[in-house]
Amino acid sequence: MEELILKLKKEIIEVLNLEDVKPEDIDSNAPLFGAEGLGLDSIDALELIVLMEKNYGIKLQDPNQGKEIFKSINVMADYISKNRTK
Amino acid sequence: MKIVITGAGIVSAIGVGKAETLVSLREQRSGIRPLCYLKTDHHEFPVGEVQLSNGEMCAMLGIDPSKQPTTRTALMGMVALKEALEQAQLIDSKTQKLKDPETFPLISGTTVGGMDKSELYYLDFLDNDSRNEYISTHDCGACTEMIADHFGRFSMLSTLSTACSSAANAVILGAEILRSGQVECVVVGGSECITKFHLNGFASLMILDKEPCRPFDESRAGLNLGEGAAWLVLETEDHARRRNATPIARLAGYGNACDAFHQTATSADGEGPYLAMKQALKSAGITPVQVDYINAHGTGTGNNDISESTAIRRLFGEQVPPVSSTKAFTGHTTSASGTIEAVICLLAMQHSFLPVNLRFNKAGDCLTPVHDNTTKPLRYVLSNAFGFGGNDSALLFEKVEERKSGRVEDEKKKKVYLLSAVQISAQEPLSEAWKDNPIPLTEPLTRSREADYKQFIPPLEARRMGRILKRAIATARTATAQAGIDTPEAIITGTGLGCIENTEIFLDALCRQGEDQMMPTRFMQSTHNTISSIVAINLKAHGYNATYAHNTVSFQSALLDAMLQLRRGAICNALVCAHDEMTPSYHALLCKGGYLKDKHATECAVSMMLSTKDNGHALCEVADMRILYRPSEAEKQRARKELGDVSYFGSTEPIFGTSYTAPSLDLYAAAHTMKDKPVAVEYSDDKYYTLILLRPCSVS
Repeated sequence: MEELILKLKKEIIEVLNLEDVKPEDIDSNAPLFGAEGLGLDSIDALELIVLMEKNYGIKLQDPNQGKEIFKSINVMADYISKNRTK
Repeated sequence: MKIVITGAGIVSAIGVGKAETLVSLREQRSGIRPLCYLKTDHHEFPVGEVQLSNGEMCAMLGIDPSKQPTTRTALMGMVALKEALEQAQLIDSKTQKLKDPETFPLISGTTVGGMDKSELYYLDFLDNDSRNEYISTHDCGACTEMIADHFGRFSMLSTLSTACSSAANAVILGAEILRSGQVECVVVGGSECITKFHLNGFASLMILDKEPCRPFDESRAGLNLGEGAAWLVLETEDHARRRNATPIARLAGYGNACDAFHQTATSADGEGPYLAMKQALKSAGITPVQVDYINAHGTGTGNNDISESTAIRRLFGEQVPPVSSTKAFTGHTTSASGTIEAVICLLAMQHSFLPVNLRFNKAGDCLTPVHDNTTKPLRYVLSNAFGFGGNDSALLFEKVEERKSGRVEDEKKKKVYLLSAVQISAQEPLSEAWKDNPIPLTEPLTRSREADYKQFIPPLEARRMGRILKRAIATARTATAQAGIDTPEAIITGTGLGCIENTEIFLDALCRQGEDQMMPTRFMQSTHNTISSIVAINLKAHGYNATYAHNTVSFQSALLDAMLQLRRGAICNALVCAHDEMTPSYHALLCKGGYLKDKHATECAVSMMLSTKDNGHALCEVADMRILYRPSEAEKQRARKELGDVSYFGSTEPIFGTSYTAPSLDLYAAAHTMKDKPVAVEYSDDKYYTLILLRPCSVS
């Protein structure tokens, strides 16, 4: 799981173009969205949906599902490990 | 001044012309169907397509497609414009050409422009010469020219590109031109066809419903794309009376505001929509209770319908008038929706009925819309059109009643001062070094310097901005700071090609890798109005916001819009911007398409603050301007004569290079070098002739 979490952090930094952010800067339990965490928005959520499909073969049909799945890196990694098809 | 509508034309999924449209509305016949005309893999999305092939439209219009390159947006535009011009009796019934000498401006709204052909032929553009004639039909301005030229010559053309509010904003500019007194009649509207480009873009934003859309319903799950075109002939009441034209309705008021919140989402409190509607009522001098019907923007997305409901409740309180969205009939006709829904409102007024909001079953948090056939006399009708980037507009129409002519308002023209003008180009950024030591232009394409943006843009926002957006914010912030104005009352941008870097990346992926490329961020930043709206978000500016995309007169159009509003006192200051970026491959295409030929191409980033108050440091007064389309030599001479005895300032192309918005750099240079004599900045190419008169501040 640790390996997946690190990989996921690197992928998120790359796909969301988070300049000056390093994987160790992201708290795996902190919220990704809103002011308390990374401060991502609805467009980032869409990019994360694309990332899940491209890298892990998980296809989300409803963007609202993202609200639960993208709560934090830990929640996201857990979802990916249970549902990945590649 | 009273503005009346004397002609209206429409084509959409529910009919070709007003008569068919009326029948569909009254008999509740939706135009949402499976895809038929667009060649795409995405057959899961129902759409509102105009039920005519390009070939059928060519035949209707007498166009031989083998001799003349055409696009679907242009063809639909011509079909609808013909109906409007015929009703207003502005064209000869036999020749279908404008009756001489009635030449007047035509203002269009589109965002897609010629994308339907660009996405078909993009790889040919790059690889061979088989489709070169379509390179120059890509941009929005070219589309407007094709539509207009079919009927003869209009005296001026311009194109608004504010995404889904484009056509509504074209109506507003048309009304402002009439109010200036320069002309008495103007044709306004918009056209937009469905393309793979924006179908895929909207799919990547996950806001397309796989079922027919259900605006305001609890179960709503997104929008259906539609297409179409609609036009209105606007003229002064006096002009209509003099030529015995029959008014259909009156344009009683309008509002344009910016949500300044997010590129693709509307704020929860609906600030932009609220301000736009409020301003429309205020400009007409009526109170909320007088509004008899609202044709909502009502796209059917979760976000739009709840925030629009909130905005309507904020403005109308307990007495919300009947509301419906007709997008369940037509689909979301994007840039054309402003005038398509305006024509639907006019039909409702003329025939005293409320258009039904189809497929409404259960109210959730949203307003409950009209869901039964209802007969009702309508006097005031409000029509909403909101766009990406929070470009929100509202139009207010009034039924025409026979009465004596009102008093002629004598609007005193205010002076307009240029308080600041800054640029980032290949020459020294934000400085005046270009005057003495210009950097020689040697490469065919010289790209501009990077903006020093970090002091202006938080990292979280900067990370997904392209170079054009960073330069836009850096110049805007510098220009406003130099002028001592924190929040401009209006932000108006001219751009030839908009965010072409993102557009090209999206198009390239679409053409090479197929239609499963999901690129929401790229798509979100591909619309022309991204520039004005991202500046508005950065400056927290909720005022008037517009973007013009009309090739070499994009900047002049933006300046004209600002001048019209400033001179009549509608606003006290305005930020006027001109931005174009260029990619090496797009540059190669433009050379191949014959636009650039052997000129040195550059990028452009100019921001300037105009105000009706001289803060003591104004560079000059912007006294007057003209935009002429295909003028004769005599017309050019007349325009020059009207400006009086002035010296002329020509092109700065040898210093800055050329781009669609290069005339903004001419103005920048003239303002920074002029002495104590008036100067006219003159621009001329094979289609357009523009003049901008600058006066030193000391001369009154």
